Amino acid sequence: MQSRRTDIWGWSLIMPALVLLGIFMIYPILSSLWLSLHTGKGMNLSFGGAANILRLAEDPVFLRALFNTLLFLVVQVPIMIALALVFAVALDDRTLWGRAWFRTAIFLPCVTSLVTYSVLFKSMFAHDGVVNDTLMFLNFVDQPIPWLTDPGWARVVIIIAITWRWTGYNMIFFLAALQNIDRSIYEQARIDGVPAHARLLRLTVPMLKPIILFLFIMSTIGTLQLFDEVMNITEGGPADATLTLSLYIYNLTFKFMPSYGYASTVSYVIVVLVAILSWLQFRLARDK
Amino acid sequence: MSPVSRILRSATYLGLGLAALISVFPFYWMLVSMTNSAVEVANGKLTFGDQLIANFQSLLTEVDMVRVLFNSTVITLFGTILTVALSSAAGYGFEIFRSRFKDHLFSLLLLMLSIPFGAMMIPLFVMFAKAGLLNSFAAILLPGIASIFIVFYFRQATKAFPHELRDAARIDGLNELQIFLRIYLPVMRSTYAAATVIVFMANWNAYLWPLIVLQTNDMKTITLVVSSLVSAYNPNYGVVSVAAVIATLPTCLVFFILQRSFVEGLTGGVK
Amino acid sequence: MASKTKTFTRALFAATAIHLFAAPAVLAGEVTVWFWDTKFNGAAMQEAANRYKAVAPDTTITLVDLAKADLETKLQTQFASGVTDGLPDIVLIDDLRAQLYLQSFTGSFEPLNGAIDHSQFAPYKVAVATVGENIYSLPFDSGVAGFYYRSDILAEAGYAAADMTDITWDRFIEIGIDVKAKTGHPLLSIDMANAAPFRMMLQSAGSWYFTPEGELNLVGNAAFKKAIETYSKMLQAGDTLWKPVSGWAEYTGAFTGGEVAAVPMTGVWITGTVKSAADQAGKWAVAPVPRLDIEGSVNATNHGGSSWYVLSSSAEKTEAIDFLAQVWAKDADFYQKILVDQGAFATFLPAREGAAYSSADDFFGGQTVWKDFSTWVQQIRPVNYGIFAGEVDAAILAQLPAMAAGENVDTIIENIAAQAKSAMQ
Repeated sequence: MQSRRTDIWGWSLIMPALVLLGIFMIYPILSSLWLSLHTGKGMNLSFGGAANILRLAEDPVFLRALFNTLLFLVVQVPIMIALALVFAVALDDRTLWGRAWFRTAIFLPCVTSLVTYSVLFKSMFAHDGVVNDTLMFLNFVDQPIPWLTDPGWARVVIIIAITWRWTGYNMIFFLAALQNIDRSIYEQARIDGVPAHARLLRLTVPMLKPIILFLFIMSTIGTLQLFDEVMNITEGGPADATLTLSLYIYNLTFKFMPSYGYASTVSYVIVVLVAILSWLQFRLARDK
Repeated sequence: MSPVSRILRSATYLGLGLAALISVFPFYWMLVSMTNSAVEVANGKLTFGDQLIANFQSLLTEVDMVRVLFNSTVITLFGTILTVALSSAAGYGFEIFRSRFKDHLFSLLLLMLSIPFGAMMIPLFVMFAKAGLLNSFAAILLPGIASIFIVFYFRQATKAFPHELRDAARIDGLNELQIFLRIYLPVMRSTYAAATVIVFMANWNAYLWPLIVLQTNDMKTITLVVSSLVSAYNPNYGVVSVAAVIATLPTCLVFFILQRSFVEGLTGGVK
Repeated sequence: MASKTKTFTRALFAATAIHLFAAPAVLAGEVTVWFWDTKFNGAAMQEAANRYKAVAPDTTITLVDLAKADLETKLQTQFASGVTDGLPDIVLIDDLRAQLYLQSFTGSFEPLNGAIDHSQFAPYKVAVATVGENIYSLPFDSGVAGFYYRSDILAEAGYAAADMTDITWDRFIEIGIDVKAKTGHPLLSIDMANAAPFRMMLQSAGSWYFTPEGELNLVGNAAFKKAIETYSKMLQAGDTLWKPVSGWAEYTGAFTGGEVAAVPMTGVWITGTVKSAADQAGKWAVAPVPRLDIEGSVNATNHGGSSWYVLSSSAEKTEAIDFLAQVWAKDADFYQKILVDQGAFATFLPAREGAAYSSADDFFGGQTVWKDFSTWVQQIRPVNYGIFAGEVDAAILAQLPAMAAGENVDTIIENIAAQAKSAMQ
């Protein structure tokens, strides 16, 4: 139990952030919730009650976007976080030559300008791009893969693109966390002859659990709000195969006849999904 | 070295080398494009050319680079310092002074984090217009300073902060603020380094909100400049690449400097 | 060191304080213009501003360059928020989106028909900005379509200029397959995220996604069916006809790099990009855009183009309108200048009489391209783009795999109509 005196300290550390969040979020949240109950074209709005929620169920485009988003989440997030962890552990090794350069190199994708990156990704995965050329040279395929023109392959490109861009970003959090775990246990296990992969799974992973949970939840939110990659590489196509919820919200607001109320409703679908998924992740983390 | 560990070591280098190559390639391409003409870039030229100075000059005639970089720098410096300070304190507060009520409050914050910004952008814009703060640095900075993301990060990272250290400091007569500043801060050096990199990058690359609240040419940031250069009917990708490199380098530099802090913290020695 | 840091910090604070809380006041007589593309729209606007200086020396025209998507985001956010503070006086709007803006942000734009004689502009361009009795735009650049092709490569395959003139899309496909087989160069690139070909084909037949009253006009629309059939045929030809591209850079790189030998579905604004490949000078020509093989389709249509609009909220409305009227709706010489300097092909009809519009261009083998475009621009059929073109575009793109797979055209049309209908609310 906290004593009253220390709890005052606790609140005073939290308060500045809470006050700012209160000022800048409460009104916008209430306002957007209220907006989600309205229908109409542009600013000619009228109260629609649950009309937007009913529209969700009958909107084939929304259902496609929902499916794609969840698919990206389930397939991509575990791959990315596992990779980030492996890189972090490898680059935490003091005896590794040039680790500062390796770290910076692997971090680079997330700072590389989105413009450059999307132009380049598109050209690499073009019909006659370097990826197809390489695969055909190695005789892995005898026909160029229609990376960006086939709905299934376009999803693969997007998954590769997000993994490429965000693995290094996630790696930073692991690298930082590795500095604060107790090395003596680790050292002892090494002396006892526990093999590397077992040390990673049985010692490192449990000690990093809070950060793993953090990254899973943040990546869940990030993937549910996935926008940049699909907007810039595939524009949601072909045939909506890479349309995400966030891109759909953008289309509803800025590309189509503005449907502010409906766009707001789709936004809150993301919130509900995050609520469910975060609750599940917290539960799983606790049970372990 | 035993043969097994030698093989393992070689495999590590091979894997890391490959990953580094794939990661760096687009960056390399950006550097190459900076030195080539628009047509050469469009045709996928992969070697350095001689157009660097021409591209630079062309960019400088189109854009007031000094002003733009000043704006981006001010926004990023203030944004990073304030965000890391305020949000780390809150994260520490949430974890060290845990209570059931605070945990519930925290869950609520996480939910707020998941609301897409686009949904809140219009009312937020109205708020700043009513306050008369449009087209000011304050408008850009204020909504981002209390970052739930960074609060969450510090809360999770603080779980690795040894309680014994805090107890010892209390016995030594330090008050809670002193513990935070003198014990927690140095111990969590690597966490602060990571948070600084992340927040710096987020501020430097901030796009949608600055686009909405900044209204005049003299308030433009580098991200907005890159965006408008690309949207030409006939974009000069050589010039775009110069701007893109300028937009990228500061974050790389900050990372390269701060990654040195990702070395064993004080905890290992204390325990 | 510490004191130096302090001084620096203080200087930074001082410089920042100016912008930290106060928005700089707007000058009286300052007309602000939002647009995209400094080198094209911006340069034309700058030229106009310079000329206006002679007419009204006290008015300053301030140019604000934004990405097109950024401009739309800003404008729409401000309209939706009801905040007019910081909005420009004049803004550039894409023709395809004009009706959407005029109808969903009612009252945000100022009618200009009192101040400007719209009979001086191409009729199709005026139709785009008309709501009821009011005309809201100062029509600017045209998206008149042209069929740009590499005359050298086509000659190699045995085709002369006459063979490319006034053809149908079906004939285009035949020629394209033949040229690809003979020379290895495709005549067409296809981007699976681009619905413009359908709009162009429809407008060539004077038809559109919607009836003039704004009702969905897909099922039972002969022109739409023919467009779907034609495009399906192209898609199914695959490698023998076209090269897949994704996005603008690859699209333009495909012809500036010399691989793709034609740009058949584009607007006159592509001229600058085509000419950026200086090594291909003299090897290009422009033919009229192919037409649909049905009754009533002409060899002229439109792709893109934009116009200037004045905002009702503007405090400098009078100056803004006067500026447009004095230069943009009056000065034919101004249009010669921007045609020569920027390749900006506008829709101000009196300008066609000027020297620049009848000059020969060596890049196009001495062809008088501007004169040709001037002829075609008058043949463009006016249609009402309506407010839901984006929704229908998306519904069409969703069916491209079905078209490529050769599924039943009527089913495809029904699917497009169903998705469009559910999105149009």
